[in-house]
Amino acid sequence: MLLDEPYRFAEAIANRRDYIEDQLRDGSPVVGVAFADGLLMVTLKGGSQKLFEAYDRIGLGSVGHPTDIEKLRQSAVDLAHVIGFNYSDADVTLQQIVHFGLGPAVKSAFDDVIRSPYIARVLLAELGQDDGGSSFFTVDYDGTFHRYESAAAIGGVAEADGLMREHILAADPSSHALSDALSVALDAWGLGRWAGEQDSLPPDEEELKAAASEADASAVVREALRTLEVEAVVLDPAGSGKTKFRHVEPEEIESIVSSIRE
Amino acid sequence: MSDGGDFFDLLKSEGYQFPANVIAGVEGDGKGLPFHPTEGTTILALRYQDGVVVAGDRRATAGNAVLYDRADKVIPIDRHSVMAISGSPAMAFEIARILEHSFQYHRRRQLQEMSIEAKLRRLSLLIRDNLPMAVQGIGAVIPIFATYDTRGDVGRIYFYDALGAQFEVTDFATTGSGAAAIRGVMYYTNRWSGTPYPELSRDDAVGLSLRLLFTAAEYDSATGRYERSTDIPPTVKTITSEGQDDIGEDELRDLHTRFLD
Repeated sequence: MLLDEPYRFAEAIANRRDYIEDQLRDGSPVVGVAFADGLLMVTLKGGSQKLFEAYDRIGLGSVGHPTDIEKLRQSAVDLAHVIGFNYSDADVTLQQIVHFGLGPAVKSAFDDVIRSPYIARVLLAELGQDDGGSSFFTVDYDGTFHRYESAAAIGGVAEADGLMREHILAADPSSHALSDALSVALDAWGLGRWAGEQDSLPPDEEELKAAASEADASAVVREALRTLEVEAVVLDPAGSGKTKFRHVEPEEIESIVSSIRE
Repeated sequence: MSDGGDFFDLLKSEGYQFPANVIAGVEGDGKGLPFHPTEGTTILALRYQDGVVVAGDRRATAGNAVLYDRADKVIPIDRHSVMAISGSPAMAFEIARILEHSFQYHRRRQLQEMSIEAKLRRLSLLIRDNLPMAVQGIGAVIPIFATYDTRGDVGRIYFYDALGAQFEVTDFATTGSGAAAIRGVMYYTNRWSGTPYPELSRDDAVGLSLRLLFTAAEYDSATGRYERSTDIPPTVKTITSEGQDDIGEDELRDLHTRFLD
């Protein structure tokens, strides 16, 4: 068997990585931004919904195969609701969902070389229960997860994540209104998409940054808007009721999008 | 994990279960129990111009004892639905919690709102699952479910029997120990007062609900009455196309002054 032969196992895993990364490359990035009125998640979608409500204060977006995304989304929703019922709404945290739910599930599927892996990278956002405490988590296709504050993003290639995040942090949207935060997030999306479109990216971080600084992110977004549409959700602490998740209205999006199109 | 998208099935697959076994030695009306089971008392719902008013007194009793005078028996389930409970609060709150999570879970997992028909069916099944408790006279839950039908643009009121049979009423419903004292009053005032309930304004509908609860308390010792000295107003909620809304305590005091003093 494969597991008895370390070399073949390592080779199988490496093949898996190549295969999954190749599948993910063209994916539409998902960007998460903390702004003045909560947390914003933004992506561009072809037709079907890409940003989802996992629980009262938790949003989920993903790059990858739609059915794999569905499986992960459903297991996040299942776990959140079982915890919420058995304990309380306050006990449902992103840390639990990622550490005990999504992370292990994705990792075991990835390691089991005779099963199909999840072809998906996931970004989750959690609105804190008090002032502050908001966070983002990313879960990669191999089960690796990271926690971020202020901003996080996932693209079709791993290099895109850092480029998008740095772009957002440089704009410091923490006190931005929704429209400005949306604009920063869309620019970051353009950068992430640009990274996915390149045949190869410089392995050196500084060279990568230099190459990215030459990229025209707005032009990438403008081109993408010919076939895709913007989807944005907000986790709004001022929202009435327990559920803080809402889709941003098309009119709110349109004013930003029309300025990019011009 | 459950793949059917049903929250109660998911809970059961995680090991959750209702107290389904009949307790040996306990007879039909709770005789043989070493304690008096707690019960919530009077609740009512009536349609008015904009939707439905749902109200309940605040008392919970155990036998002849007043156990608690601040019970909330009108429980929000989702944006457009509330469940008012009489009978065993333990099982009723459990059922309300399952229902609330079921509706939210369905909306998030299936990416669509559960239909009113399905919501009613979920509640019906939960009440039926609770039958062993109800048969022993210790855990019966007899709720009123009120919701706003956004497709039909109308408020709807349903009540259930202990077996889970669901009945839609046109204008009003009341259950619980004080219901006997006011059911006839509701029929009478709806039919012959000159203004049928569905034509009442919000204030008149809330005022009428306060009067009805006061009347129930007059003839049923298990129903709590609003007293100035203790100042614990009943729970009153409205459900309209905009969703459900709590009537605040200050407004209830004002309406009490206007309609009852």
